[in-house]
Amino acid sequence: MATHALSPAAVPAYRGGLYEWLTTTDHKKIGIMYLINSFVFFLIGGIFALLVRTELAAPGIQLFTNEHVYNEAFSIHATVMIFLFIIPMLAGLGNYVVPLMIGAPDMAFPRINALSFWMLPLGGILLLAGFLTPGGAAAAGWTSYPPLSERGALASPGPGQDLWIVALILIGTSSILGGINFLVTIFKMRAPGLTLFRMPIMVWTMLVTSVLVVMATPVITSALVMLFIDRNYGGSFFLPDKGGTAVLYQNVFWFYSHPAVYVMVLPAMGVISEVLPVFSRKPLFGYKAFIFATAGIGALGFSVWAHHMFTTGAVFLPFFSLMTFLIAVPTGVKMFNWVFTLFRGQLTFSTPLIFAIGFLTMFLIGGINGAFSASVPIDFALQDTYWVVAHLHYVLFGGSVFGVFAGIYYWFPKMTGRMLSESLGKVHFVIMFIGFNLTFFPMHMLGIKGMPRRIADYASDAGWNDWNLLATIGGFMIAVSMLPFIWNVFVSLRNGKIAGDDPWEGNTLEWATSSPPPAYNFDRLPDIRSERPVFDARHGLNAGHGHAAIAAGGHGEAS
Amino acid sequence: MSTSPRKRPASEALVAGGVVVLLIAIVGIIFFTGAGSELYPPKPATVQAKEVASLYDLVFAIAVAIFVAVEGLIIWSILRYRRRPTDVDLPPQTHGNNFVEVLWTLIPTVIVLYLFAISWQTLNSVDYTSVANGQKPDVQIHVLAGQFQWQFEYLDANGKVVATQTKPLGEGGGMAVPVGKKVYVTLSSGDVIHAWYVPRFLFKRDVIPGQTNNFEFTVDPAEVGQTFRGQCAELCGTGHNAMQFQVVAMTQADYDAWLAKLVEAANATPVPPPSGAPVLALDAKNIAYDNRALEVPANAPFVIAFKNDDPSTITHDVDLRAADGTTVVANQDPIAGGTTAQYSYPALPAGTYQFFCSVHPGVAAMTGTLTVK
Amino acid sequence: MTAEAPALTASAGHGEGHAPASGHAQRGISNPILGMLLFITSEVMFFSGLFAAYFSTRAANAPWPPDVFKDILDPLGPIIIATIILIASSFTCQFAVWSIRRGDRKGFVRNISITFVLGIIFLVMQVYDYTILFSEGMTLGSGPFGTTYFTLTGFHGAHVFGGVLMLGVILYRGMAGQFSAKHHDAVEAVSLYWHFVDIVWILLFSILYLL
Repeated sequence: MATHALSPAAVPAYRGGLYEWLTTTDHKKIGIMYLINSFVFFLIGGIFALLVRTELAAPGIQLFTNEHVYNEAFSIHATVMIFLFIIPMLAGLGNYVVPLMIGAPDMAFPRINALSFWMLPLGGILLLAGFLTPGGAAAAGWTSYPPLSERGALASPGPGQDLWIVALILIGTSSILGGINFLVTIFKMRAPGLTLFRMPIMVWTMLVTSVLVVMATPVITSALVMLFIDRNYGGSFFLPDKGGTAVLYQNVFWFYSHPAVYVMVLPAMGVISEVLPVFSRKPLFGYKAFIFATAGIGALGFSVWAHHMFTTGAVFLPFFSLMTFLIAVPTGVKMFNWVFTLFRGQLTFSTPLIFAIGFLTMFLIGGINGAFSASVPIDFALQDTYWVVAHLHYVLFGGSVFGVFAGIYYWFPKMTGRMLSESLGKVHFVIMFIGFNLTFFPMHMLGIKGMPRRIADYASDAGWNDWNLLATIGGFMIAVSMLPFIWNVFVSLRNGKIAGDDPWEGNTLEWATSSPPPAYNFDRLPDIRSERPVFDARHGLNAGHGHAAIAAGGHGEAS
Repeated sequence: MSTSPRKRPASEALVAGGVVVLLIAIVGIIFFTGAGSELYPPKPATVQAKEVASLYDLVFAIAVAIFVAVEGLIIWSILRYRRRPTDVDLPPQTHGNNFVEVLWTLIPTVIVLYLFAISWQTLNSVDYTSVANGQKPDVQIHVLAGQFQWQFEYLDANGKVVATQTKPLGEGGGMAVPVGKKVYVTLSSGDVIHAWYVPRFLFKRDVIPGQTNNFEFTVDPAEVGQTFRGQCAELCGTGHNAMQFQVVAMTQADYDAWLAKLVEAANATPVPPPSGAPVLALDAKNIAYDNRALEVPANAPFVIAFKNDDPSTITHDVDLRAADGTTVVANQDPIAGGTTAQYSYPALPAGTYQFFCSVHPGVAAMTGTLTVK
Repeated sequence: MTAEAPALTASAGHGEGHAPASGHAQRGISNPILGMLLFITSEVMFFSGLFAAYFSTRAANAPWPPDVFKDILDPLGPIIIATIILIASSFTCQFAVWSIRRGDRKGFVRNISITFVLGIIFLVMQVYDYTILFSEGMTLGSGPFGTTYFTLTGFHGAHVFGGVLMLGVILYRGMAGQFSAKHHDAVEAVSLYWHFVDIVWILLFSILYLL
């Protein structure tokens, strides 16, 4: 790392390992730091989830001394998982692979890239520091609706809530800078021949994600700033008795936080759109349609925010209901694209493909159960119940987290030069898949039978006991499934099989360089004549251009 | 030579097809026997809820059909198209097919537009209120939500409050409504956002400070005598879960009697405390007692002159428990903010007791120690 | 990796500088300018959130302004001078850009110095204006009118302050002779930002004082 043939004088003769990591501007090292940092917060957020699940395993207040602590636990669980795990995890994967996939030496602004990363652990520490303050950490949910998050004897009054605001502004700024960096990198630093419609889908999803980040994140910053002013400087934005409007916060908050759902899921879609073609030895079915569907989701994503507010009595229901239904269409298009990529392929069931199939099967449920909430009258019944908890976890865990692991198993050989163990990977998948469904499927039943979210206790005669116990058991299974994964990473780092440049017979440019890639990534690039340059180099340019439209006919043998 | 999918052994197709059929069978068994009932809403108790439930049934049927179709296709593909050692050549490099792509864009569009249309239709009847259409509802109730209790104000035809029910739960408590009558509800909050939610009504609506929401419902006459569980559904603080209420469905005659009794109780002169009993003063403000250590003489009844200085939506009381914190010594009815009450307590043997506010259990500032000696 | 690593480092990590990485065609605008445009886009969205809050709050409160503060915001008071000063600074900033595009370093330094000073004068005048408002009892805590006014103008002021710092940096670098007709992306980027700050003020002034 520390030397480069072209610039011997510019690099210090020796940089110690730790110093090098702390000061690096190499997108690959920063990407890996993003992944490690995010994974640590995944474990922290997971511990809060286990605390919540343990409390809910049976009726009564057992684990926590009072409900305020419970409120802190689920508020911090959600905040950590969303802002410090999923979003930066996917940004980290993007950070590692996007410059490689477009044949660039680094991100457009390497030093800003480092700044974006270092804001994350700082934000995370500030957030968790809330526990050390009198009054504890933020306890008004990850949404922190005012007036609850502002005042009231039993609200979330302490400095923990202020730390929550500052941490989120910091993390948001990190996202915005990262988004700008991705956009400039993708627009300006693609290798010759890599036109927009030859970019890997992963790059496309990062592009659309970055547009969402750059345009939506500042809006939540404004909401947080107003919340901070209300709390600390006597402001009256959201306090009705002082002339403010409580629902205003929800509008501004969800204007960001709904697009943020796509920020959390689009890159994961990108990951599996890379994995599925490679392991079925076929191109992605409907590449351009997939891109338009991604852009469509991004655009529609700005017009559906108020479907989180159907029960407020303060939004125009038909419009937001219609838009929410419509966003199912491009999502459905993608689902069919993926399935038809598998269809008539030659599937190799390596761990990345298994996790990608986990994504497909689980995200499908997350899409279908979301359609219930798009229907306003049904949402009146389901809003703020465990049904919504089930839905969001099928999207963000069943979708994004399975996608994240697909990506980690897929690119680990590129990042480290060594393969992860396949058998441990499959053990990980099986336990996590079963645990996930045990945890979150019963939440549908709890929600439809009337269990509200965010309650620390429930009546023992409400009929919720068995499902809650099952969900808690499932939660611990998910926790257990992390052990083979962590073990796998540690063992494979030392003793894993040597990967070579291209262990999976990949399609995209990252497989054209060594594993791990050298500083500045490429000595030379293959010709880029399609969205699968490495495939073309392996099989010859004509191999990928069988007959185009033959899904039904079946006469598409390659040359 | 290339291995086209058609040359694969038929056994693979049989296995794959078999598993897909199995999936369909399992899903079918789950939903056409009782096992699937867990995924359906509870029995709807209002006219409006019945419409929502039938909409749910329809959406659910479509959802299951889509689930089986797509999940079946995925399973078929992964079982049927495994790469075999003989697969050296590439499979057909299919880049797309305009026809099927247009098809799977149009068909979902039609499905979601249909779902939207029927949802909108149901919404119009669920959201219908007499008041918005220039008619008089049969019963008008104004619901006040405050941390962490519900109060129900009963209004006469002119919108004047005739009685307030401050006990949301338990014997004689809850929100009483006549069956088969249009009940118009307005909602307001004095502190944070709450949500009025009754699972068997398949309905909730947020209670937002600074904004009065409303809705209307008609309880199914078949539900007469039933009590429905209700609960706050929007996180409102430490006592969120304790913020429960009941809706009691009565015949019109029973309802009239119940309301008359409530009015009478509101107008009755309070029972004077036993003369000579010691009177302790206790105030509550900002969800805190002003005194958390009280003292009374043993073996004599006593009175607490209780004053609630919080906003009108926030209720308090002073209940008494033995030192263990669970054995009930005395329960009192909560009073609304801005009012006072004379709570009488029986004679107690010497010892220490706990007093607390039943609306704010677990709040340290609303628990205290009563020393009897 | 370090700021000096040439050739293969992404050219764009620094305001100006190195030739693009070999083989990567530099089409259209340069990386720092595109980056600044995207940053400004995100700032526009930030202010949109605040403006949305302003209009929502204003719609919920009549009369607006409240009677206590009826004539407190006088568009013809000192604020008009501050407004003219900020608009003028946008012109001098553009003159500076044109100077450096011609390679006129002296003209650049002169114009950017004027812009820098005008920016500081604006800030001083805004602080002065605040003290007057405070003395008349209008603060962040005095109801929705004060809250929205000080939030909007305060965040604008913070952006002006940021812009003044950036102007200071390019002024320093310009005096050190780091810019030329070919290499002055930082100047272009800062001037874009400064124009953005100016336009936000024109909007703010129109909405808060005139509307």
